[in-house]
Amino acid sequence: MDFYFWLFATMAVCAGIFTIAARDPLPSALGLLTVFIACAALYLHLHAPLIAIFQVTIYAGAILVLVVFVIMLLTSPDERLSLLQANMSYRIMGVVLGACIIGLLAAGTKGLINIVGSKALPDGFGSPARFGDLFYRNYLLHFEVASVLLLVALIGGIYLAKKNL
Amino acid sequence: MEGWGIIIIKIVFIWTWTLLIATLMTWIERRGAGLIQDRLGPNRAGPFGIFQPLADGIKLFTKEDIVPEKAHKILFALGPILFALPAFSAYAVVPFGDKIVLGGKEIILQVADVSVGFLYIVAIGSMSVYGIVLGGWGSNNKYSILGGLRSTAQLISYEVPWGLALLAAVLLYGTFSLRDMAFAQQGVFLGFLPNWGIFKQPLGFILFMVAAYAEANRVPFDLPEAESEIVAGYHTEYGSMRLGLYLFGEYVNIYTLSALIVTLYFGAWNLPYVDMSKFLGPVAYGLASFLVFFLKVAFFLWLFVWVRWTVPRFRYDQVMGLGWKSLIPLALINLFITALFVQFTA
Repeated sequence: MDFYFWLFATMAVCAGIFTIAARDPLPSALGLLTVFIACAALYLHLHAPLIAIFQVTIYAGAILVLVVFVIMLLTSPDERLSLLQANMSYRIMGVVLGACIIGLLAAGTKGLINIVGSKALPDGFGSPARFGDLFYRNYLLHFEVASVLLLVALIGGIYLAKKNL
Repeated sequence: MEGWGIIIIKIVFIWTWTLLIATLMTWIERRGAGLIQDRLGPNRAGPFGIFQPLADGIKLFTKEDIVPEKAHKILFALGPILFALPAFSAYAVVPFGDKIVLGGKEIILQVADVSVGFLYIVAIGSMSVYGIVLGGWGSNNKYSILGGLRSTAQLISYEVPWGLALLAAVLLYGTFSLRDMAFAQQGVFLGFLPNWGIFKQPLGFILFMVAAYAEANRVPFDLPEAESEIVAGYHTEYGSMRLGLYLFGEYVNIYTLSALIVTLYFGAWNLPYVDMSKFLGPVAYGLASFLVFFLKVAFFLWLFVWVRWTVPRFRYDQVMGLGWKSLIPLALINLFITALFVQFTA
């Protein structure tokens, strides 16, 4: 098997376990950061540099920074997560959500049987130009729907924030 | 394709060069401060105090390494490393000259000319915030945490106009590769101007410049370490070489940002009206392109120092207001105009 794959896959799984097991909020967030970066390395290995870069920029560089920001605003370095982790309802919710995601993943792997055989990559696979071509030609509707969704979230956020001002 | 040997030589070269520039910048910063404030600045160590950075380095290395008792030990140690690491890796995709032909082999003066160059810069740039956050949080000190918080908010806010200004440049040049952007700036524009990005993206340049100062935590945006309010911000508790890494990382960031400004808006290694490759030999041309590029970068390095000792610091709400209410709308307008321009001239 592939050494590069195993290195980063192990890294991602270990960091994932650390993320949910950590007692402090910030190290937990750092565990998630490691998961993101390991995943980006795996995407790079799959000849998808653009996705890898997006993973780092958007997930690690924007979303997680926001999470860290909230952690810093709401807790202090001495505080622990044990209170939160001892709460039974959170645990049950976590199990249910986790089971749902694993179920989805299992359903998703069913289609993998067809693509196991290796074949030559099409010309320019994974390059930004090719990606943009597909994105704005074949998947334009999906892209626009996603942007409308974001707009709705934005307006909702402003409404909620302004109501209390 | 170049061999591994050449790639390793290039990596070592640009790493050493960046370190050298960052070291020199600490001296230039203090001499520059002296010049602007009508005093001498450091002038004891060597001629004009040129060995001052060396003395500072020895001092930082030999000082006692103090870790506060209440600090989170691992995070405290990780902070400076995670700050310096992205700073040093960002330069990988930025060119430092055109190319040298040695013994029939063409060596491009850039570590890696990747197709996602511009996105790599954005991604690495967004990583540097973690070093500051960890330093602030790991120190377990209220001033440090305030500095870390400010820095996070500032980086999130200014990354948006920064990225949008870059995006407008990408639209204009039609490529993600920084090397191709440099090639796109040869020749003349409108018959008499050099074909540089600044003349096509004047607003984009100003936006990029302002956001770059905020990204580098430099005056007038050095709120994360505002001495008059929060002691030294995220590095209040740091001393010895750990502090050295933070200070050094800042200068490395400044160097990379200056090189980016030159690559995007000031024609990279191209001289206006003159094509150096026409009358210079292959080796001489390579060296000349490196020199021209570096001289342009040197001007922007000096500009960072110049601005630091000229402009006062913003108030915190002013920084946020400027970012969200002025720069982002302007960057969006700039992007829109550029898109129209590209659409109708293509």
